[in-house]
Amino acid sequence: MAAKKLRRARLSQELCERLSRHQITTCQDFLCLSLLELMKVTGQSYYDVKKLLSKVSQACAPKMQTAYEMKLRKSVNPSSAFLSTTLHGLDEVLHGGVPCGSLTEVTSPPGCGKTQFCIMMSVLATLPVSMGGLDGAVVYIDTESAFSAERLVEIAGNRFPSYFDSDEKLFSMTCSVHLYRELTCDSVLKRILSLEEEMISKKVKLVIIDSVASVVRKEFDTKLQGNLAERSNFLAKGASVLKYLAEEFSIPVILTNQITTSLSSGLIQADLVSPADDLSLSEGASGSGTKESGGVTAALGNTWSHSVNTRLILQYHDSPLRQLLVAKSPVAPFSAFFYTIEKSGLVLQDGKDQTNSTCEGTNPALQPIRVRNAALKDTLLHAP
Amino acid sequence: EIGISKEEALEALQVVRQECHGDAARTAGGSGATRKCTALELLEEEQAQGFIITFCSALDNILGGGVQLTKITEICGAPGVGKTQLCMQLAVDVQIPECFGGVAGEAVFIDTEGSFMVDRVVDIATACVQHCQLIAAAHQEEDHLKALETFSVESILSHIYYFRCCDYVELLAQVYLLPDFLSEHSKVRLVVVDGIAFPFRHDFEDLSLRTRLLNGLAQQLIIIANDHKSAVVLTNQMTTRIGQSQSMLVPALGESWGHAATVRLIFHWDNSQRLATLYKSPSQKESTIPYHITSHGFRDVQPPAVTQNSEDTEMNPRKRPRREEEK
Repeated sequence: MAAKKLRRARLSQELCERLSRHQITTCQDFLCLSLLELMKVTGQSYYDVKKLLSKVSQACAPKMQTAYEMKLRKSVNPSSAFLSTTLHGLDEVLHGGVPCGSLTEVTSPPGCGKTQFCIMMSVLATLPVSMGGLDGAVVYIDTESAFSAERLVEIAGNRFPSYFDSDEKLFSMTCSVHLYRELTCDSVLKRILSLEEEMISKKVKLVIIDSVASVVRKEFDTKLQGNLAERSNFLAKGASVLKYLAEEFSIPVILTNQITTSLSSGLIQADLVSPADDLSLSEGASGSGTKESGGVTAALGNTWSHSVNTRLILQYHDSPLRQLLVAKSPVAPFSAFFYTIEKSGLVLQDGKDQTNSTCEGTNPALQPIRVRNAALKDTLLHAP
Repeated sequence: EIGISKEEALEALQVVRQECHGDAARTAGGSGATRKCTALELLEEEQAQGFIITFCSALDNILGGGVQLTKITEICGAPGVGKTQLCMQLAVDVQIPECFGGVAGEAVFIDTEGSFMVDRVVDIATACVQHCQLIAAAHQEEDHLKALETFSVESILSHIYYFRCCDYVELLAQVYLLPDFLSEHSKVRLVVVDGIAFPFRHDFEDLSLRTRLLNGLAQQLIIIANDHKSAVVLTNQMTTRIGQSQSMLVPALGESWGHAATVRLIFHWDNSQRLATLYKSPSQKESTIPYHITSHGFRDVQPPAVTQNSEDTEMNPRKRPRREEEK
C-alpha cells in the first residue's frame, strides 16, 4: 500500500516525472512531505496541492467497513473466524478458539508444552471444516529443531482415531504440514516476508513460529548498547508483517515465547536476560535454577507484549498437572485451566476449579510463571 | 516608510486581506471560519459540551463527566490493561440517545494493531442496550421508548465505521481524508485511533521525520476535533526507559508527543487491580481510580446497585442540564 507508485494514484504523467526528479516516486514519499515542500516541488498553489494530497491519500487509504458488516461476514462463515483448539473450556472462553486474523502467543517455561500445543494445532488445522479444522496447509517455522513428525502422527492417530483410520489419511495430513528450519533472525524475517506467495499457492491456513524468542535472544544481547532498540525494531517489523498476513488471509498465527527473569516491583520493570537462559535453545534444565515464585515472566519485552493480540501462558502446577492461563485477550477474561500432556496431545482436566474467570487479571507482562522445581527432576525419570 | 499615516496603512492592509479572504471563502468552502471568540462564548460552549460516558462512574468523575468532545484524550497503558476495551466501550457509548444522557453520535474506529474484535463489541453493545432498557422501564417516558426503538445492537454496529491501517502511510492518508468523511457523516462524534504508536515504532531511522509526522497528525486531529465537535481518543503504548540503575515504563513516542493530547490517562496495574490515573488535564486534578473489565465492558470496581433508584441518580445529573436547554 505504501509503496504504491504515484503513477497508479492517477496523477498526471508530467507531474509524476517532475516529482521523480526529486526522488519522490511512491505514495509514501509524497505523504511524508509537508505542504510547503510539496508546493515547492510541484510548483502548484496551496489548494491544488491539497487536492493532490487527497487524491494520493485516497489511493493509499484503507477501505471503510462498518462493524455490522464485519459481524455479518463472521456469522455467514463462523468456522472461518476461529480455529477450535478442541479444548472445550478454552474454546468457550475465547469465543470459539484461536482467533483468525490476529497473533496469538504461547509462553511457558521450558518443557511445559509449547511445542506440543503447536503440533496439536497443526493437526487441527489440517482437519476438514466439518470437524472444526480449517482444511488447509500449515507453515511451521522451527527455530529450535524441536518439531517431531512422529509426535505429529501420534497425536493425530490418538486424538481422532476415527478420522485417521488409514495410513493414507495420515500421509496426506503430513504432506500439508510444511516445515522450515530457520536459525537466524535474518532468515526468519526473510522467510516471513516470502510467505505470501507460498500461502496462496499452498492454501496455507495456519502459520506457526516456534519459537521467536530463541533466535532473538541468541542474537541480541540486551546488555549491549543499542541492541535493545534494534531488537525492538526487528520484533515490531516481524509483528507487523505477520499481522498483515494474518488479516489478509484471515488465518491464525501462533508464536511461542520463552521466559526471562524480571526484577520488578510495581511499575518498574527491567527486562534482563539471565545468563543461563542465553544458552538454552530448547527444553532443558536451564530455567530450573530460578526461584519458583515470581520473578519469571514472558520474554522479549514490552513492545512485543503490545504487538501480540492474545497471550496464553502455560505453567507448572503439581506434576503432572499443568496450568493454562489466558493472560491477554480482547475477548476473554483472565482464566485458568488445568491440563496434562498425553498421547493425544493436551487434555483439559475437568472438574477441577475450572474457568477461574474473575474480573481481575494480572499484568500479562508481569504474570509470574511457575517453573519446574529442581526437586521435580526425578519425575523425569518416571515420565512416560 | 511610504510616508502615509498608520490608519491609511491599516486600511490598505484590510483591503488586501479582504481580497484574500474572499478567495479563501470561495475555494475552501468556508470550513473552519473565524477561530477567535471571546472567553465568554467559549465558556457557554464548554458548558453545553457533551461528554461521552464510560459506564465507569469513577472514571467519569475524575474526567469531569466523561470523555470530552472537541478534545484529544490519550490513553497510555501496559499491554493487556484495557485500552482497546475502553475504546470499544466508548464507540458504543457515543451512540447512546440523548434522553439517556448520551450524545447520540456515531463513531470512527481507526485500528492499527488489529485488536478490534466484533464479538466483544457485540457483548458490550448488548449490555448497553439492556442498561438503557432498564432505565426506560423505570421511567416509562415516551421519548425513552421511542429512542429505544432505534437503539439496538444492529444499529450500534452499523454506526461504527472501521478502518484498518497497516502502516503509518495508510494512517497518514486516512487522517488526511478524515475531514471529508466526517462532512459526509456529520453525526460522527468520536474518532478513535487505536494504536497511534504501533506504526511509528519500527522502520524509522529518521526520528526527526517521525516527530514531524506525529506533530502533523496531532494538528490535524485537533482541527478535526474542533471543527466537527467530536472527541478524539488515541491509545499509546508504554516503553521501557533505561535509567542509571533501574528502568521505568513511560508512554511511548517521546516527550514531544506528550504535548499533543489535552487529556492524558495512564492505565496501570497494582498487583491484581487495574488503576487509571489522570495524568494531564486542563481542568481536573490528578487522581487515580480502580476499574474493572467485566464481560459487559468497562465498569466500576463495586458494580453499581441494580436497584432502579441508583440508575436514576446515575443518569439524572446528566439528563437535567440537557432538558433545561431543550426548554
